[in-house]
Amino acid sequence: METSDTNAGNNRNQTGSAEVNPESGSVVGRRRFLQTAGAGAAVAVAGCSGGGGDDGPVRLGATYILSGFASLYGEAAERGIEMATTEINDDGGIDGRDVEVITRDTEASADTAIQQMRSLVEEDNVHGLFGLDSSGVAQAVAPQAAQLQMPFMITHAATSFVTSPEGEHEDSVGNDYVFRDSNNITQNVYGAARVASELDATEWATIGPDYAFGYETWDYFQDFCTGLGVDAEFTAEQFPPLATGDYTPYISSILDAEPDAVITPLWGADLTTFIGQAEEAGWFDQIDNTLFSVGMGTDLASDGNPLPEGEYSSTRYDPFVPDSEANNTFRDAYHEEHGTLPTYNAEGAYRAVYLYKKAIESAGGTDPDALRDAFSGMEHSGPVGDYRFSETNQATVSSIWGTVSYDEKWESNVLDPVNRYEVTPDELAEALGDSDLPTGV
Amino acid sequence: MSLSSLVPLIGVSDVVIGLSLGSRLFLIAVGLSLIFGVLGVLNFAHGGFYMLGAYVTLAVVTNVVDNFWVAAVVGALAVGVVGAAIEFSAIRPLYERVDADLDQLIVTFGFVLIIHETVRFIWGSGSYSVEPPAVFDYSVALGGSSFGAYRLVVIGLAVAVLVTLWLFITRTYFGSLVRGTSSDREMASMLGVDVPRLYTIVFFLGSMLAGLGGALSSPLQSTSPALGDQVIIDAFIVVVIGGLGSISGAFVGAMLIGMMQSLGPQFISAGSIAIPFLAMVIVLLFRPEGLFGGIGE
Repeated sequence: METSDTNAGNNRNQTGSAEVNPESGSVVGRRRFLQTAGAGAAVAVAGCSGGGGDDGPVRLGATYILSGFASLYGEAAERGIEMATTEINDDGGIDGRDVEVITRDTEASADTAIQQMRSLVEEDNVHGLFGLDSSGVAQAVAPQAAQLQMPFMITHAATSFVTSPEGEHEDSVGNDYVFRDSNNITQNVYGAARVASELDATEWATIGPDYAFGYETWDYFQDFCTGLGVDAEFTAEQFPPLATGDYTPYISSILDAEPDAVITPLWGADLTTFIGQAEEAGWFDQIDNTLFSVGMGTDLASDGNPLPEGEYSSTRYDPFVPDSEANNTFRDAYHEEHGTLPTYNAEGAYRAVYLYKKAIESAGGTDPDALRDAFSGMEHSGPVGDYRFSETNQATVSSIWGTVSYDEKWESNVLDPVNRYEVTPDELAEALGDSDLPTGV
Repeated sequence: MSLSSLVPLIGVSDVVIGLSLGSRLFLIAVGLSLIFGVLGVLNFAHGGFYMLGAYVTLAVVTNVVDNFWVAAVVGALAVGVVGAAIEFSAIRPLYERVDADLDQLIVTFGFVLIIHETVRFIWGSGSYSVEPPAVFDYSVALGGSSFGAYRLVVIGLAVAVLVTLWLFITRTYFGSLVRGTSSDREMASMLGVDVPRLYTIVFFLGSMLAGLGGALSSPLQSTSPALGDQVIIDAFIVVVIGGLGSISGAFVGAMLIGMMQSLGPQFISAGSIAIPFLAMVIVLLFRPEGLFGGIGE
């Protein structure tokens, strides 16, 4: 342990000298240095249980999108983190130790996220990691968590491939160190197919972001509809790039195909922009049903262009269901502090801090491998309800879909009526039918 | 699968949308082209000027006076002044250098970052929307789909800018000075043209047009710091296709790219943003000088 600390120290010194060296003072130089030096330091640091030993505060590292088109997601997560750390520290901490969370911006980029997590592990000696908002980023980060041998609790990014064991599918990157406390695309889209089965719509289209999340949502949706015997045809698809300022051509193209219903996984400022431009183009008059697969996470946190009432939206957590003490207390405290209902991103981050509390208390310390073992198969309860971690480290949370309606009392859109589709991993696999896509549960 | 998904349907609204996208591109590309044609400066910061125009409009409309047109004029003029100040202070000293082209490129690229970070510092990295002026805030339904009436206004204004600029360059005394200096700077200087002053004025004009583009486009798209990065690439493509320095070339190039952006998604579901690049490659291979050439064309 002594040796490890010294090595880590040396590496930090080298980073310092690289920064003053004019030739490697550029961002590129430092990045490359961090990437190569990272591997060495990782081995040195990950071996011991963090620089602070078992006496100082528990340090957790969080990575979220704090700038750009989806910054409102990271901001909501920060609020959840703030609430959890305050509550825990006011209540005696974790085994008597305070908990600190260091939050970093991934800028929605896999490279940045990897640099940040390595820096959190190697320079800040965190005891555990959580966060992530983007499926594309999560896909790249998951193998790094295993390499760093540091548990990573994903709280939002939904790609099913990070909780699908490596080898199950060509894109699977699941491993022992990666967990997820929020629902994944499989769970989420299963609910969408159930909604579709109840609608009088046969021709379906999608408009989603041009990366893993957009394509996976559409692939799972088609396979679930087929597996569940939904009478559906899939007639049009558009995948505009992230942070598109003007969706009009894509909107127009979907409208020209005249589908009955559309499922859209657009999110963040992209969703807000899309809704405004879709309204202008007469979208909601021409298309009978629009399913916003991540709509509430944007709606509650955003100022402009709310989800249109009467359309369908999903959320990974509902502020009113379950009607439990944990949920009501969390919702009311959040609302009082921030004047809005909590988003699922706030709740997922909030719960991650509590999950670490439970794992550290049950492991009796912060050894990363002991935490990994503690998370494995853990049963937990939070605002979202009761759940456990499946064999693939995925929380068995339900799929929540409902009708968007405005609530006068909360001065906010809510899902009412709202359905929770409780589904077991086996039922999910069965509903996917002949699909080669993994359930990731 | 239905027939409609196999045969792309091109409606009136697709054409209007394409022309409005082209109009936005024209306003930014024409300033870029003008500055290059006269000063020989390839202004990378032009996308930043466009973005700044949208932000100033947003700021005026939300904080000062709730009138879009006033805000748009303020946005355009403010960006013009910023552009002129940058030319005067940072670009003018570089004209006589041996490697002037490269130095100018680096300096203007530096301003891309400065403008981007300043905007992020003031307004944050989130995105904003600006409402179109109330008189035009309604949808026009044509041939089954609809579009915002404001798009027609943007198209009209782009045509007005094209005509005004063309008259200005070809019919006015100042225009003849601009054309003369653009073809032979030293001769113009010897004949008594105050070249540095003319350069600053042209830079002001070009920047102002970018600012106007950003201002007029703000109701059509979300305003975020990334706005300039997206549009500058398209503007370069327009200028290469139309011919560097050509005003009518910028117009035709912009409309071509606008239509490609509008109709591209009808044919392929992803990656249609690559179509303009293909068009640029084809033009570079077969007509490297662009479709048009030279100031005043």
